[in-house]
Amino acid sequence: MPGLALLDHRLLIITGKGGVGKSTISAALGLLGARRGKRVLVCEVNAKERVAPLLGAPASGSSAREVVPGLFTVDVTPRDAMREYGTMVLRFRSIYDAVFENRLVRFFLRAIPSLAELVVLGKILHEVRAEEHGRPRWDLVVLDAPATGHAVQLLRVPAALLDTVPPGPLRRDAQWMHDLLVDPLTTALSIVTLPEEMPVNEAIDLDSAVRDVLGIPRGALVVNAMPEAIFSEEERARLGELEREPPPLGPAARAAWLQALRAEQAARSLTRARAALDLPTILVPLLARERWDRAAVEDVAAVLAGSV
Amino acid sequence: MGEIRDGLARKRIAVCVGSGGVGKTTLAAAIALQRALEGGRVLVCTIDPARRLANALGLETLGNVEAHVPDHKFREAGLAPRGQLFAMMLDVKRTWDDLVARHAPDRTRQDRIYKNRIYQQLSSALAGSQEYMAMEKLYELATERDYDLIVLDTPPTAHALDFLEAPDRILDFLGSDTARILLAPALSAGKLGLKLFHLGSGYVAKTLSRFTGAEVLTDLADFMASFQGMYEGFKNRASAVRALLAQPEVGFVVVSSASPRSVDEALYFHERLHAESMPIAGVIANRVAPDLWPGGGALPEPDELAAALAARGVPDARDLGARLARVLAEHEVLARADAREVELLFRSAPGPHAAIPRLESDVHNLAGLARLAVSL
Repeated sequence: MPGLALLDHRLLIITGKGGVGKSTISAALGLLGARRGKRVLVCEVNAKERVAPLLGAPASGSSAREVVPGLFTVDVTPRDAMREYGTMVLRFRSIYDAVFENRLVRFFLRAIPSLAELVVLGKILHEVRAEEHGRPRWDLVVLDAPATGHAVQLLRVPAALLDTVPPGPLRRDAQWMHDLLVDPLTTALSIVTLPEEMPVNEAIDLDSAVRDVLGIPRGALVVNAMPEAIFSEEERARLGELEREPPPLGPAARAAWLQALRAEQAARSLTRARAALDLPTILVPLLARERWDRAAVEDVAAVLAGSV
Repeated sequence: MGEIRDGLARKRIAVCVGSGGVGKTTLAAAIALQRALEGGRVLVCTIDPARRLANALGLETLGNVEAHVPDHKFREAGLAPRGQLFAMMLDVKRTWDDLVARHAPDRTRQDRIYKNRIYQQLSSALAGSQEYMAMEKLYELATERDYDLIVLDTPPTAHALDFLEAPDRILDFLGSDTARILLAPALSAGKLGLKLFHLGSGYVAKTLSRFTGAEVLTDLADFMASFQGMYEGFKNRASAVRALLAQPEVGFVVVSSASPRSVDEALYFHERLHAESMPIAGVIANRVAPDLWPGGGALPEPDELAAALAARGVPDARDLGARLARVLAEHEVLARADAREVELLFRSAPGPHAAIPRLESDVHNLAGLARLAVSL
């Protein structure tokens, strides 16, 4: 599916249900970007870092570190983001420390709902628009966003604040963040799913939230771990009969029957997802891997290369 | 494999915990069904059931109230329960509203809180809100209803830890000593809003409003004032919930898939529960690829399989044999990876265990749920 040109955006947001492989897809997209000569930052949010370890590097923590040539990763936590944001707004670190180390102030900051999300998102979007030596600091920022519900919470903060907050510093920040998120030349949000019932349900709900609530430009639906259709229906029926044969045929028929069942269920889920979502789909085949490491991510990147 | 069932035999409350996407909801329903079949009056409280699971229970529209699973659903599945099964779905916003209604001194105060923008965000969007309300609902059901067993499915938290800490974090939000000390003089003077910041230094207040805008702080002060006098009630109730969870009549069931990430989370959760002296009733590894070639000997060659197929008169034996050999080899790669993770999980988290093969937990009717229950 050439022409999707996902990597031409400055900000790729990757989300979906927990456990569907968002970090793997984010890491693979990051690798591809770097391989095409871009300076790439992959952001995780308040997470147990997965991207750097997947690529065989130690976790980066709260400051961006280069894990593969051209590819940097960072983990954005509310605490660090709050400090950075505070320092930026107030200009001087000494003022930040004097004010924010105050117990009263810390309490009130924590008590304002969405402030944590705002500073986290603010930190990430700041990276997207930051310039150095007259050119963007990053050619591509990949946001490995939290799972569905938490992602919507995070991404809707600018719009929500624009609805409720009167003019002031919070509103000004919400405004530029919102503008950046809804700009189709800058941003594309892609949903990762497995070809299974619940992840597809979530993908469908999430996509309507993206359209109706967030208004963020939509990229693609990435269907991860798609089993190959290897056996015909007729063969599958025969395999069911052969399962009770002694080894080696019995176990092989059992494995094949299970594979066929899984492939059939996956195909049904894929059909449902395609019918419900008018998004270009990218299929990533189920890879039989004993461990998920750099080599596995490279394989995923190779699959994605043709479509993005 | 009746380990999990035995682990829960004397429990009145079962709480299923684990990271998202491991099949907690389905397993919670299976645990509930099993006890109902044996003669109990059982409730399963789910968070976000798959449509097929809701359909399986005959409850296309699960709501915030308990609904009886109809008899004809059992008959269709060829089951004859000796007890009764009820199901419901947690509605976070409604549970918050009910909790406020319970603690508010009068209607006026209740409405003022409902209208407050900070409350609206808190009850719908604040991280941890769902977790807190799941606990709250559980307490309400456990103390005000008469079930032999309540099975609680829990929200797919980003971090397993959220579940235990969320109530404390939100209570912290609702009423730290700091806030009360700050608010008390302002309240007694009958004036709210920015007045309270005169108590702190003007320097702090000015800097803070530069950070957020002054009106956000006014909203917040109004919210805090509305909650005045209610905090103790919230706090006492949360301590009661916490105390309930440590009772021996409660059993936590830790659910994991065989992925390294979910096993990591499960072990972390197990450790936390242990440290907090919360009773653990079992550990389930769900969706495990079964080892179909035990012993780990050399896998069959395509030719060998083709010959076996041909001997049974299967057409195209050569081509099919090659595909069978490849699929079995790939299956075993996945099975080995799963076995390694399950072994780690069970070794590090002792107690009753169950490993559920992949696909068997893919349930779309009560009969399937009953079959799943047997492997627990």
